[in-house]
Amino acid sequence: MDTLSLLLHGFQVALQPVNLMWALVGSLLGTAIGVLPGIGPALTIALLLPVTVSVGPVSAFIMFAGILYGAMYGGSTTAILINTPGEAGSMMTALEGNRMARAGRGAAALATAAIGSFVAGTLATMALTFAAPAVAELAFILTPADYFALTVMAFTSVSVVMGSSRVRGFISLFLGLALGVVGIDAMTGQARMTFSIPDLLDGIELTVVLVSVFAVGEIIYVASRNRYYQEEITPIRGKAFMTADEWRRSWKPWLRGAVIGFPMGAIPGGGSELPTMLSYTLEKHLSRHKDEFGKGAIEGVAGPEAANNAAAAGVLVPLLTLGLPTSATAAILLVAFQNYGLQPGPFLFTSNPELVWGLIASLYVGNCMLLVLNLPLVGLWVRLLYIPKPQLYAGILVFAMIGIWGVSGSTFDLALMAGLGLVSYAMRVYGIPIAPMLIGLILVPLAETQLRTALAAGEGRFQVLFESPIALAFYIVAVLFLIVPWIMARLQSAAESRPSTG
Amino acid sequence: MSERRRQPWWVGLAVILAGAVCLYASSSLDISAQYAAIGPGFFVTAVGVGLVVLGVLLLVQMARGTAFDPELERDPGMDKPAFFAVVVAALLPALVIETVGLPITAALSFTLVSRAFGSLRIWTNLLIGFILGTAAWFLFSWLGLQLGTFLPLAGL
Repeated sequence: MDTLSLLLHGFQVALQPVNLMWALVGSLLGTAIGVLPGIGPALTIALLLPVTVSVGPVSAFIMFAGILYGAMYGGSTTAILINTPGEAGSMMTALEGNRMARAGRGAAALATAAIGSFVAGTLATMALTFAAPAVAELAFILTPADYFALTVMAFTSVSVVMGSSRVRGFISLFLGLALGVVGIDAMTGQARMTFSIPDLLDGIELTVVLVSVFAVGEIIYVASRNRYYQEEITPIRGKAFMTADEWRRSWKPWLRGAVIGFPMGAIPGGGSELPTMLSYTLEKHLSRHKDEFGKGAIEGVAGPEAANNAAAAGVLVPLLTLGLPTSATAAILLVAFQNYGLQPGPFLFTSNPELVWGLIASLYVGNCMLLVLNLPLVGLWVRLLYIPKPQLYAGILVFAMIGIWGVSGSTFDLALMAGLGLVSYAMRVYGIPIAPMLIGLILVPLAETQLRTALAAGEGRFQVLFESPIALAFYIVAVLFLIVPWIMARLQSAAESRPSTG
Repeated sequence: MSERRRQPWWVGLAVILAGAVCLYASSSLDISAQYAAIGPGFFVTAVGVGLVVLGVLLLVQMARGTAFDPELERDPGMDKPAFFAVVVAALLPALVIETVGLPITAALSFTLVSRAFGSLRIWTNLLIGFILGTAAWFLFSWLGLQLGTFLPLAGL
């Protein structure tokens, strides 16, 4: 069957009333958590993982997809109205959008963000529709040695790109790798790093780590700094919709944002930070209203918001086709697949077409729902911002605890939650990024299994790892990720020091 | 501003310690195994070595006076009572949930966190936490999941 008929079949799945209901639940939930500061899509999906016990995989993933996209829509509302980017991807939106809101053009900023998210989300979903099957075909030719090289590339890029320093990025990655090897070794049955604690034999659950770092660590951090920060909500003013001039200035940034965001989301380590920054810089460069940037330029909201949403769709390409998560949200989606005994990768397209195509079709459906939910109802969502902070954060902690207790029912995991929460608090304070740790934790079993399989097939010769051209290419990209920022920094400092010495 | 800010040396030392723990744990595992070239200890050893090296690199960076982080420059310092209140709220469930059950644990943790954020309405917060915990308990049992005994103290 060709892609279009498969997609059509996916729509038959996604448009069933029960699945439409799950898409609506996901979209509502996603928008709400996107609006609320302090919780992101990864944490929400982690807390909802217990539903995988009683809800079928197709419905659950349709809901998760709604959360993934909805959080992007909701995040922009918070960024525009209170200038607190809930997540890294909304940073640029906050920059221009909040200025627009203060200048009385809040409604237009919200509209260009929502429509831009819709346009870019739809375009990127189309790109996903056609790219994913092609990449999945390619994935069939990857050998274990290639897969190992791919994970090395993912590790390197995530550690270098996320965060401000390579050393700290790698510290985060290695902490994740260390947590990931805890438990019984799948190949030899030996207990590793368990220190005779029976609870550790099964390994450390990503859910526990994720909830600890995103909920507990975040709450400790915000509570300990809360006294010093005041947030003010800028009320929405301005005409409910965009003027003709604002449309004219928005549509090109939307398209360019989509083109930047999708491939960058698909690359390991691209994340959402880089594409939004790139889009912002590009729009500033291309705009005929350069003087407005920093004071509320609509292009600076339209472009990054589009890039942000397109990147969220791009992340699904490596996840669905290679089983390779490139963001925290993707990592938790991978866990959800594993809860159902499914392994994302090329085989998923042939073994579970209903799930894959139902999921992709529901992205189109969810995007339309979100546009409807967000454009006219934005005033309703804004009310969520008025939930008092003490009860909001207290509620998040209680849900985190319930989430862990519900998944594992073990007091050891609850103690782990407090411990890892403290560790991630320290990581936040000292600028050690969180994402590499999660990627390391979730990918280390894959990396290790593929490495050992490759070496076993090569009868223990280490050269076997470098014999395939594909693996070599991945290693070269990994090395480039390592050295290019270093060379750039050197060049920059050389350029800066020349005038002062000469 | 002092010329040399106090550096958080303990972070580097903690990373080295984490590496040392991995190396200690790997000492009981085979690095090169019977099967293929590497055994169960290989990754653990590699991770341990990596962490030790990274910890040393971090210390070297700090000794050179590299600005630790832009975030730290803005960091106004911490509110200690609020910090400890949340840490206790996070630790509490592990210690008491089996004795007092989910609703009471939720009430206690909820109240501690809201206090850390400055809310003074203790009784209201206790009640909200209790309701949240109770609602979650019934929701989960409706979904077919067990959240422990409801109120062990009352024998429920």
